[in-house]
Amino acid sequence: MRIDDFKQRFLFLNEFKILFILLAGLLFIGMLGQYSAFNGEFNVFVQRHFLKIIFGIVCMLAVYSVDFRIWSNYAYVFYGVVFVALIIVEILGVIKLGAQRWINFYFFTFQPSELMKIALILALSRYYSLLTPLEISDLKKHIVPFALTIIPAYLILKQPDLGTASLLFFVGIGIIFMSGFPLKAFIALITCGIALCPLGWFFLHDYQKQRILTFFNPDRDPSGSGYHVLQSKIAIGSGHLFGRGFLEGTQSKLNFLPEKNTDFIFTTIAEESGFIGAIVIVTLFLLLTLYFIWVASTVRSVFAKLMCYGLSVLLFMHAFINIAMVIGLVPVVGIPLPFLSYGGSSMLTFSFCCGLVMAALAYKKSY
Amino acid sequence: MPFKFNNNHFRHDFLIIVVCVLCGLLIANLYVLQVNNSDKYMILSDKNRIRLVPSLPKRGKIITSDGKTVAGNVCRYKLIMDYCDKKTFSENLDVISQQINFTKEEKEELLKVRQRARAYHLPIVIKHDLSWEEYAKISMSFFKLKNVSIENVYVRTYEMPYEFSHIVGHTAFSPDNIRGIIGKTGLELSLNEQLMGKIGSIQMEVNSIGKKVRVIDSVEPMNGEDIVITIDSELQKFVCDLIAQQKAGACIVIDISNGEILASVSVPGFDTNLVSKKISFLQWNEIAQNPLFPLLDRTCSCAYPPGSVFKIAVAYAALKEGISPKDKIYCGGGVKLDNHVFHCWNRGGHGYVDMTDALKLSCDCYFFEIAKRLGIEKIAEHARELGYGELSGIELPNESSGLLPTKKWKLFRYGSNWKPYETMIAGIGQGAVLATLMQSANMMGKIFSNNKNFKSTLIKGKKFEAELMPFDKKHLEIIQNALHLVCTSGTAAGSCNAPYGIYGKTGSSQVRALKENEAGISNKIAQWKHRDHAFFVGCAPFANPKYVVAVFVEHGGGGASIAAPIARRVFDKLMERELHAH
Repeated sequence: MRIDDFKQRFLFLNEFKILFILLAGLLFIGMLGQYSAFNGEFNVFVQRHFLKIIFGIVCMLAVYSVDFRIWSNYAYVFYGVVFVALIIVEILGVIKLGAQRWINFYFFTFQPSELMKIALILALSRYYSLLTPLEISDLKKHIVPFALTIIPAYLILKQPDLGTASLLFFVGIGIIFMSGFPLKAFIALITCGIALCPLGWFFLHDYQKQRILTFFNPDRDPSGSGYHVLQSKIAIGSGHLFGRGFLEGTQSKLNFLPEKNTDFIFTTIAEESGFIGAIVIVTLFLLLTLYFIWVASTVRSVFAKLMCYGLSVLLFMHAFINIAMVIGLVPVVGIPLPFLSYGGSSMLTFSFCCGLVMAALAYKKSY
Repeated sequence: MPFKFNNNHFRHDFLIIVVCVLCGLLIANLYVLQVNNSDKYMILSDKNRIRLVPSLPKRGKIITSDGKTVAGNVCRYKLIMDYCDKKTFSENLDVISQQINFTKEEKEELLKVRQRARAYHLPIVIKHDLSWEEYAKISMSFFKLKNVSIENVYVRTYEMPYEFSHIVGHTAFSPDNIRGIIGKTGLELSLNEQLMGKIGSIQMEVNSIGKKVRVIDSVEPMNGEDIVITIDSELQKFVCDLIAQQKAGACIVIDISNGEILASVSVPGFDTNLVSKKISFLQWNEIAQNPLFPLLDRTCSCAYPPGSVFKIAVAYAALKEGISPKDKIYCGGGVKLDNHVFHCWNRGGHGYVDMTDALKLSCDCYFFEIAKRLGIEKIAEHARELGYGELSGIELPNESSGLLPTKKWKLFRYGSNWKPYETMIAGIGQGAVLATLMQSANMMGKIFSNNKNFKSTLIKGKKFEAELMPFDKKHLEIIQNALHLVCTSGTAAGSCNAPYGIYGKTGSSQVRALKENEAGISNKIAQWKHRDHAFFVGCAPFANPKYVVAVFVEHGGGGASIAAPIARRVFDKLMERELHAH
C-alpha cells in the first residue's frame, strides 16, 4: 500500500461525521452506564471498559486502513480459520459460565463465535459477488450459503449459545434475502422454517428450554429462571418518564438486577434515565443501522453491498434481541448490547464492523 | 462492477421497513412498561428494597398503691444472626454453643427457622434473653462470628409473682414477632393497649440479600403508660400467706368508700416470670396439669355455688316482695317435699325463726320456705340487683358472670321444666346458683355503701361514674343488723366477735349430696375434693363500715370454722393498718 493511500484515507475520515457522532453517543452512554453499574466508582473495571473503547477505536481505524480488497480476497480463508477455531473450542475451549465459548490465547481469551459473525458475512458476500443474476435465480446455487450459515450455527448452538446461533442464522438469512434469492421460494422456505420450529426444541439444552418455558409464563418460577426478567422489568418500569436519576437506580445499586453491566446494561441505564433515555438508545441504534443500510445502497460492488446489509442486520438484531430480552419480549438468550455492554469480544466485533463499513464507503469513493 | 439485483429497491425498502417496525415495537413496549405501568413497577421496586422493621416501645410498669413495682422491665440482650448460608450458620452456632448452653434440639430448631426465613433473608433470633454474663462471654468470641449482632431488649419481670399472678397476669412474646411483648392474662391482657404504647417503625433499605444499606425513615415508638393499681402489696402479701395455708382459695378486700380493691388473692398462684419467658413443654405441663389449677383466677373467673352467703340476697328479695321480717317459720331440722326430706344444716332444728334469726343462724328451713313463697323468678330478679348473675365490671379478663337460674334458662339449657325443689335449694345458694367471689364481695359493697351501683376497681384514681342509687333504708337496717348478729351471737360468733364489730355471713356450699349417716361429720371424713366450699363475706368496722372482706376456701369445710377465722385476721390487720394511717 502506498503512503499517499494512507494520507488519502486519513483525509477521508471527514466523511464519517455522522457515524462518529452516533458512535460517540453510544460509547458515552455506555461509559456512563458502566460507571453507574459499578456503583459510581471509577474502579478498575470501569477503567478497563474505557481501555476497551480505545482499543475498539484503534481496531476500527486499523480495519479501515487495510486495503478493502483484502477482505474480499481472503474472505474464505478468514471463514476457514474461524471455523477451525470453532472446532478447537468444541474440543478444548475454556469453560466459563457453564458454556464452552472461549479460546485461551494465554494473554487473553476470545470467543471464535464472535468472529464467526463477521467471517460468515464476508464469506457469503464473497460467494454472491461471484454469481451472475441468472445463477442467483437458480435455487441450487443457494445450497452453499445455507450450509455456510447452518453448520457454524449448529456448532455454536452446541456450545451452548442460543443467542449467537440465532444471530448467525438471522444474518445468513438476511444476506441470502438481500442477494436476490427468488421471492416465492423465500416465502415458502420461511413458512416451512416456522412450521419446523417445534422440532428445534429437541436440540435445546435444559436451561434453554427452561428459559423459553419461563418466557411464555413468567410467573412459572419467579425466583428461578424468571427472576432475571422480572427484576429487569421492575427496574425498567420503575424508571418512569425521566428515570430515577443518575446513580439513583435502586434495583441495580442494591443488586436485585443480575448481570447489570453486561447483558442487562440497558436495564441499568433505563432505570436511571427513564423512558427518555431508553428512546435515545433505541434511536441511536436505529440511526446507526440506517447508516449501514445507507452505505449499502451507496456502494457499488456486490461484495460491499451485501457485506453492509449483513453488518446492518447483525448490528440491529444484536441490539433488538438484547433490548427485547430485557423487557421480556423474547426469551433470555445471553447476548450483549453492542458498544454498551462490558466485554472485550463484543466491543472488538462491532469496531470491526464499523471499520468494514467505513472501508467500504472509502473504497467506493476512491475507485 | 455495475450490476443490478432483482427487485433490489424493493428489498432495500423492505429491510428499512422491518428495522423501523421492530424499533417501533421496542418503543411501544417501553412506553407501556415505563409510562403506563410505571406505578406498578415502582411499588414492586420499593417492595424489593424497603423493609419495615418495628421499633418497640418500653412496656409500662404496673405499680401498687404503696409504690411497689410488681411488673417492670429489665434490660436483657438478644442474639441475632443475619441471614447467611447453612455452613456459616452452623459454624456460628458451634462457636456460640461453646459459650452458652444449647441443646441439640434447640440447634435443630434454629436450623429449621433458618430454612423458613430463607425466602425473605430475614435475620434470625438465636436467643431471646441473654444475661449479662452470657453477653460478655459471646462478646469475647465475637471475632470468630460472622453476621452476628446483639441487641438490647427489655424483658418483663415480676416482683412477688405468686401473690400477683392473677391480678397482674403474665406476658409472652407475640407470635407475629412484630409487637414484641404482649399481655396474656390479668391486667397485662386487659390493659395491654395502654401498657404497650405505640410501636414505632424503621424504614430500612436492604439489598438483594437482605443486608441493611441505610435507614430511610423512622417513627419513634411511644412508651407505654405506667399503671398504678389499688392493691396494697403489704396487705396482699399478708392475705396471700393466710390463704396459702389452705390448699386453694381466694380472698378479696375492698375499701367501699371508693371501691378500691386493696387485696385480691387467688391461691395457688404460679411463677409469672417463668411463664412469661419461653418455657419448656415440661415446665408448662407442670403448671397446666396441676390438680389445683393454679392458672385459674378463683376471685372472678370461677363461679361456685355461693351457699348461705346467697341467703342475704334471698332475704333482700323477700323484703322487697313485702314478706314481713317478723314472720316466723318453724324449722324442725328439715322440710319434706315429694318423699324427700331437705335437711337444715342443723338436724335438730331451730324452732320458730324470723328473718333476723334465720340469717343469724343461717337456718335453711326458713329460706326453703321463703324461696317457695317467692318463686325462682323473683329471687333471680332481686339477686340481680345485688350484682349476682352479671359481670361485676372488674378490669380483669375472663370474668365469669356466675348463674342465676330461671325457668326459661332451665328449659333452654336442659329442655326440661323447673322443679319446685330447685327453687328451694336455690334459696340457700345451692343447686344451679353460681356466683364468683367477686360478686359476693360486691354485694356486700352495695349493701354497706348503700348504693346499688357500687363497683369495685383495680385501677387507682378511676372515678366512680355510677350515680348513687340507695336501697330502702328499712330493708338495709334489717339485713345489716342481722349480719352484725351473725358475728356476735350467730354462726361466726366464735371467731368474728371483734371489739370493733364485724358484719358478716358464713357460707358452706356442698359439692355433693350427703349420705344419711354423714351429716355433721362429712367434712372431716370425706376426701378433699368432696368437702364443702367455705365462704365468709364480711364488713367492718361496725360504727362506720369501710372494708369488705370476702374469703373463699375451696373444699375448706365449714364457712364458720375455716373461712371466718381467716376473715377475722384480715379485719384485724385492716384495723391495725387504719390505726397506723392516722
